[in-house]
Amino acid sequence: MTNTSLLVKGLGRQFGNVLALDNFALEVPKGELISLLGPSGCGKTTALRIIAGLEKSDAGEVHLNQKNITNVSAHLRNMGMVFQAYSLFPHLNVAENVAFGLKMRKVSKSDRAKRVNEILELVGLDHHHKRFAHQLSGGQQQRVALARALVIEPEVLLLDEPLSALDAQVRTNLREEIRRLQIELGTTTLFVTHDQEEAMAISDRVGVMNKGRLEQIDTPDTLYNKPANDFVASFVGTMNHIPAQLENGTVELFGKKFPTQKSGNESGKVIALIRPESIQTTFHESSANAVVLTRSFLGANSRLICRTDDGTIVHSLMNNEASHSLHPGERVKLEILSREVMVTNV
Amino acid sequence: MKKILENASKKLPSTIILLVTAFFIFLPLIGATEFSLRDGGPDKHSFQSYKWIFEQSGFKENLGITFQVTSLAVILNLLIMVPTVTWLHISGQKYRRLVEVVTILPLIIPVVALATGAQTALPSFLHNTVLELSFMYVVIAMPYSYRALDIGLSGKPLNTYVAAARNLGASWYKVLVSVIMPSIWPSVLAALFLTVALSLGEFTLAQLLHWTTFPTWVANVSQENILGATALSVGSLFFAWLLLFSFTFFGTNKIDRSKDEE
Amino acid sequence: MSNTAESTVVVKGASSSRGALHRLIKQIPLPLIPLFIFLTVFFFLPIGKVALNAFEDNDGAYTLANIRLLFQDPYRLAFRNSISLGLISALVGSVFGLVIAIAIEKRGGVKLKKFIASISGVLANTGGVPLAFMFLAAFGPEGLMITFLKSFGIDLYEWGFTLFSFSGLVIVYSYFQIPIMIIVFSPAVSSLRREWQESAENLGASRFAYWQRVGVPILLPSFLASFLLLFASAFSAYATARAMTVGNITLVPLVIGSLLDGNVTINQANLGYALALGMIVISILAMVPYLYIQSRTSKWQQ
Repeated sequence: MTNTSLLVKGLGRQFGNVLALDNFALEVPKGELISLLGPSGCGKTTALRIIAGLEKSDAGEVHLNQKNITNVSAHLRNMGMVFQAYSLFPHLNVAENVAFGLKMRKVSKSDRAKRVNEILELVGLDHHHKRFAHQLSGGQQQRVALARALVIEPEVLLLDEPLSALDAQVRTNLREEIRRLQIELGTTTLFVTHDQEEAMAISDRVGVMNKGRLEQIDTPDTLYNKPANDFVASFVGTMNHIPAQLENGTVELFGKKFPTQKSGNESGKVIALIRPESIQTTFHESSANAVVLTRSFLGANSRLICRTDDGTIVHSLMNNEASHSLHPGERVKLEILSREVMVTNV
Repeated sequence: MKKILENASKKLPSTIILLVTAFFIFLPLIGATEFSLRDGGPDKHSFQSYKWIFEQSGFKENLGITFQVTSLAVILNLLIMVPTVTWLHISGQKYRRLVEVVTILPLIIPVVALATGAQTALPSFLHNTVLELSFMYVVIAMPYSYRALDIGLSGKPLNTYVAAARNLGASWYKVLVSVIMPSIWPSVLAALFLTVALSLGEFTLAQLLHWTTFPTWVANVSQENILGATALSVGSLFFAWLLLFSFTFFGTNKIDRSKDEE
Repeated sequence: MSNTAESTVVVKGASSSRGALHRLIKQIPLPLIPLFIFLTVFFFLPIGKVALNAFEDNDGAYTLANIRLLFQDPYRLAFRNSISLGLISALVGSVFGLVIAIAIEKRGGVKLKKFIASISGVLANTGGVPLAFMFLAAFGPEGLMITFLKSFGIDLYEWGFTLFSFSGLVIVYSYFQIPIMIIVFSPAVSSLRREWQESAENLGASRFAYWQRVGVPILLPSFLASFLLLFASAFSAYATARAMTVGNITLVPLVIGSLLDGNVTINQANLGYALALGMIVISILAMVPYLYIQSRTSKWQQ
C-alpha cells in the first residue's frame, strides 16, 4: 500500500531467556497516530527502540516508505524520538536543544533560527529560548523534547511513554497537545504507553500487546466493545468477571439467558465478561438481588460495588441521577443490558 | 553464538584496559613483596626482614605513640563533629552551607604550609606533647569526616524519626539512644575509619613538627637497612590496605543493606 | 559643639568595628561554637601566622624582602619545579584516569564498580615512605620489575632510567594520582545519561558528533576540576617527595622542610613563612576553581 509509512514484520528479540518480541508485525499508515499499549515487559518499548534503530532485532525487518531500513544506523533514519525523561542536553539551552537536529542536518543558521522559533511557538514555549533544562518543569521539558523531535520534520515520530513521569493534570493537557500537533503537522506517530486511558483518548488505532505479541490492533471503539480475547477485554477499561455455566452456547446471568460468542454445542464452566456500564439497577423481575457495598463518586458518574446474593462482587457504572439515592447497605436489583455476552473458559 | 561474540567484543577494549591497569597496580606490589622476602639474594627467600622489624628497638614504642595519637584524634574528631553535624541536620538547613564551606577549607591549604604555621601558632602547653598532632589531624581529617557524616545523615529523615518517636511517647534520652544513635552509627563508623587511616599514615606534620611517630620512625630506620625498610613498607602497606579495603568493601555493604531494608 | 560631634563620630566608629565582630560572633549559634573555636585555634591561627610572618623581617618590622626572595633562585627554581611536577603529574594522572574511568563505566557491573571504588580509595591514600620503597624495591637495580622486563630484552637501566629523577617522581606519584582521578571523575562519567546519547543519535549525530557536541562539552568542566585537584595534590606532596629524592630536585615542600629542620641562615628566619604563603596562594588558585566547578556540575549530575 502506498500510503503505508512504517512497516514492521516478523520482529523477534530475545534477552537471555526472555522472549521480548515474538513475531511482531505492524503497519502504520501515513499521518496516523498509533499507540502500542500493554503492561510492563510486553515488548512495546523494545519494538519502538528497534524501529528507532537504537537496538537490533534478532529477526524481522523494518521498512520506511517502502525502503528496508533494518540495517540502517539510528542516526540516519530521520525519525524523531521523545523519551520518558531526562533527554534534554543539560549543557544547551532550549533553543540550542531544539536546533540540534537541524545542526546535524547542516541547516543554515538563519533557517535554524526561523524553524526553532516556529516550533517553540507551536508548543507554547516561545519565550523560553534561553532557559536550561533544570530550570523547566517536567511538562515544559517534554514539550521542548517534542519540539526538538518535530522540528526536523521526521518521517515518523516515536514517543516512548512521554507522559509517564508527569503529574496527572499535566499529563491530560499534554496528551491533547501532542494529538493536536500531530494532526496539524500530519506526522506519522507511534506512541508507546501503559496507560490505556491515554492510548484510547488520542489514537487513531491502538495495538494491545502482551508478552511480545500483538493481541489486537483496532480503533479504540472496537477494542473497547469488541475485544478479541480476555486479555484485551480486561486490559482496556474495567471489566466484571462473573462465573457462569455455559450451556449449548448460552449463559444464564441475573435471571436472563444470553447468547455468547461460543458455538451452540459448547458447554462448561466459563467466566462472563461484562462492562460496568452494562450493569444497571432495575425494577424488572429477571434480575439479580444484591447489596450495595460502596459507592464512589467519579464526577460524571458513580461506581457502585455490589455483592449479589450468591456472593459475586459486581461493579456497576451508573449516572448520578440513577444512583444518588443508593447508599451502602441498601438492597438493589441489578440487570445486564447487553444483548450478547463474551465468555472465556475458566 | 554470534550474539555472544558481539556482546563480548563491545566490552573487550574496556576489559583489556582494566586488566592492563590491574597488572600495573599489582606488579610493583608483588615485586616489592618478593624483594622484602629475600634472604641474602634473589634466590633465597624467608621472613628474615620481617623478623628484623620486630627486633628493632623503636618498633613497639613508636607504634604505641602512633596508637595514642590516633586514638586521641578519633575521640576529638567524633566529639566535635558528631554532635555538630547531628544538630545541623535536626535544626534545618540554615547553617549547613556555612559549615560545609568552613570544613572544606583545610583541603585547600597544603599540609606543609599548615605545619609551618602550627610550629609557632599552637598554644604552648600543647607543644610539649606529641598529642598536639591529634588536634592537627582532626583539622586535616575534617573535610572527609564532615562529608562522611553529612552524606550519611542526609540519607535519613532524622527529623521525621525524631518527631515520630516523640509522638509515640519517647523521652529525649530515649530518642537519642534509640533513634538518633542507630541512625548515625554507620556514618560515625565511616568518619572513624577515615580518621584512623589518615592518622596511621600521616608523615608530614609529624616530621615537620619534629615528633617521632611510627611513620617517621619507619622513614629513619629505612636509611639503615634497605631490605628491612622494604619489609616495613610492604607490611604497613598491606596492613593499611587491609584496613581501608575491608571497611570500604564490607562497611559500605552494611550501609547499603540498611538502605534496601528501608 | 563640633568637638562633641567629632568625638561622637570617633567613638561610634570604634565601637561599630568592635560591634561588627561582636555581631558576627553572636550570629554563630551555640552548638557550632566548639567547631569554630577548634578551627580557629588549630587552623585559622596557624594560617594567619604564616600570612603575617611572611611579611615580617627578623625584628618584626613589615617587609617585602621575604616575598622578593621567592622570585630568586634557588626558590624560584623550587617553585618552577613544583609547578611543573604538579602540571605534568596532573596531566598523566588525568589522562590515564580518564581512560580507565570510561573503561570502568563501559564494563559496568555493580560489584566491579564497588570493588574498584574500594581499591581506588586505598591506592589514593598510599604515599610517603611505603610507596617510595615499594617502587624502589620493584624498580631498583635488582628489583623484580627490572628482571621481568630484562627477560623481554628491555634493560631500563641501560636507557639511563632511574627512579631518582623528575620522571621517576612522576611515575611514583601516578600510583596515587590515577586513583584520585578515578574517584573524582567517575561520577561525571556515570552521569552521562544513556538518553542523551540516544537522543543525539536519533537526531542525526554520528558517534563522533555525539562526543564532539555532547559528551565532551558535558565532561569538560569535571575533567578540568579533576585536573586542578591532581595539580594541587602533586604540588603539595611532601612525604613521597622526601622519600624519593636525594636532594637532587628542589621542590618547595622540601625546601620548607629543610628550613624547618633548622637549616636556616640568619636572614632567612621568616623565609619559611614566605614559602608557605606562596604554597597557599598557588594551592588556593587551583582548589577554589575546583570546588566551584564541582558545586556547579553536581547540579546536573543527579
